[in-house]
Amino acid sequence: MIRTLLLLLLTLLIAVIASLHLGVHVYGPATVWQALFGGAESSSEIIVRTLRLPRTLNAVLTGAALSLSGLFMQAVTRNPLAEPGLLGVNAGAAFAVAFGLVLLGAVSIAGIGLLAIGGALAAAALVFGLSGALGPAAGPTGILLVGVTVTAMLASLTQLVLLIDETALETLLFWLSGGFADRPLPLLSIGVGALAIAFTGAAALSTSIDALQLDDQSASGIGVDVARTRLSALTLAALLSAGAVAMSGPVAFLGLIAPHITRRLMAARPGFLALSLLAMLTGAIIAVLADILARLIVAPGEAPIGAVLAFVGVPFLIHLLRAKRLRGVGV
Amino acid sequence: MKTGPLPIAALLVILAGGLVVATGLGSSFIGPSRVAAALLGNGSRTDEIIVWTLRLPRVALATLAGMALGLSGAILQRALRNPMAAPSILGVTDGAALGVVTFLWFFSDDANVLTVSIHWQPLAAVAGAFAFAFLVGLLTVADRARNDPVRLILYGIALAALAKACVTLMMIVGPVYRASQALQWITGSVNAAHWMDVGVVAAGLALSVPVLILMRLPLRQIVLDRQTAITTGLQVNRHRIGLLVLSVMLTALAISQVGAISFVGLIAPHAARLFHGQFRSGYLLGSALIGGILVLAADTFARTIASPLELPAGAVTALIGAPLFLLLILRRQVRNG
Repeated sequence: MIRTLLLLLLTLLIAVIASLHLGVHVYGPATVWQALFGGAESSSEIIVRTLRLPRTLNAVLTGAALSLSGLFMQAVTRNPLAEPGLLGVNAGAAFAVAFGLVLLGAVSIAGIGLLAIGGALAAAALVFGLSGALGPAAGPTGILLVGVTVTAMLASLTQLVLLIDETALETLLFWLSGGFADRPLPLLSIGVGALAIAFTGAAALSTSIDALQLDDQSASGIGVDVARTRLSALTLAALLSAGAVAMSGPVAFLGLIAPHITRRLMAARPGFLALSLLAMLTGAIIAVLADILARLIVAPGEAPIGAVLAFVGVPFLIHLLRAKRLRGVGV
Repeated sequence: MKTGPLPIAALLVILAGGLVVATGLGSSFIGPSRVAAALLGNGSRTDEIIVWTLRLPRVALATLAGMALGLSGAILQRALRNPMAAPSILGVTDGAALGVVTFLWFFSDDANVLTVSIHWQPLAAVAGAFAFAFLVGLLTVADRARNDPVRLILYGIALAALAKACVTLMMIVGPVYRASQALQWITGSVNAAHWMDVGVVAAGLALSVPVLILMRLPLRQIVLDRQTAITTGLQVNRHRIGLLVLSVMLTALAISQVGAISFVGLIAPHAARLFHGQFRSGYLLGSALIGGILVLAADTFARTIASPLELPAGAVTALIGAPLFLLLILRRQVRNG
């Protein structure tokens, strides 16, 4: 556990350093050092300080938030396919923000955060409520069908809203395509807040969630309030994904793959709290690496992060669909 | 279940009325009687120009594409014995989009000019649609749980996401002008319709009619479970593949002309089933007519609701189709459980 933690921290550090150096222009270590600590004002140092550094921080926070969100969802639903992007939660937050910006004219950072949280919670309630109505017979894939459909519906609603205001379309289309670059820095505070609350929640819920890994009956048998645990965990998951959407727009697949990779890093199965810490690190690493890739593969253009993640995420999703034991996350 | 020719006649009347109203709506309103006069060739000269060269190609294209999508969905659901199968969910639509973008990218020169005729574009869409339908089919067949009707849809969803990612990347890499061209196609709109496009979809529909008449027996037998169907002398695999090819072709043809319009192929057959026995021969015709009415209504709504701005018709159909799909999943589950 400690060794994995240290390894992940080291990897993240290397990824962050690489992210500061690599891009359309590759900067030497001296330039990056000067930009961060020297206060020099040449154009390349300004680029590193005002463009590369913020987007790297954004990637770290968004990756951690989405990964933890996916972990929460997968753990309490015992569904390996649960993920904020595929379950419509991202789309709900995105729709709420678009709706608020266009129709209510809310533009403050706090406003965007609140809208994203409201939308994410509403969409999560809708998707989990509907799939709850499906009953356990629907299996892990029923919820995915519901989520993808709700996503389609919300996306077309977003399109409708955007049609009303063409100027909003210009700014929002960019934001809605998802990515870590050129985001307003103060938005990061929403992500930090969401992560802090959710990680505290993970600490508080960890024993209950660990008990949930068995099955509902055994869990309630040892005194766990199953419904309340599940509800709190899903609320935290929605909060995290709302924070991520507020920072970077809807980013799919990250919340799906990061928790799975985390679980596979360890031979023994750690408790939920340890797992969530590792998952946050793994998510951050994946996000930073994907962001570097997004800068490089179509340089001098820039690929949307969603496309980069789809190339990794889709084969992974297919692999999960083909896996022998789709039920149960304890792979 | 009601049967007989009455529902079909009613659908035809609705469609005809819809065509006249939709043709009349637009930047200048033309009353139904004037539209009818222009259609019959004895309206005023301005009316006739507006109706015949501006409005009618678009209205006809929307209707025919909708008919192709509805028919394609009905055939697909029948062939797979899966009420949730729909061309747009199976990755076919995004596959076609990838085909179009690849075509635009591959055949543009440095000056952003297409080096071959734009009329090859539908062919590229068809090729892309077939490629992805083939991949989805391959994944499903290779799956242990291939008899679960949901598997096919899940693989479709996964591959659609992959195709979408490829499309986005190619649009970024490709020349700007072509990107906007492709985007216009992808968002699914029927503007800039020509009689030529109408002819392409109409030809596809017309060609599928004799095929469907020839396959009318297999179409009924294939509803049975595999063993029973084989006992009745049906070569299940051969006919299933044949029907799938026909279905993908119809979808690809429709969306190559009107763009990614989703959920129509899913809803139309279900609506047809509501008031027309699915074992009657009119079921396919009913699905086609309902599909036509749906897309015509969606396109008319999309272009008039926020005029002069235009909404992609695909967004409208998704807005109606998604809740219905959810209802379908819920009802299926209730029946199973």
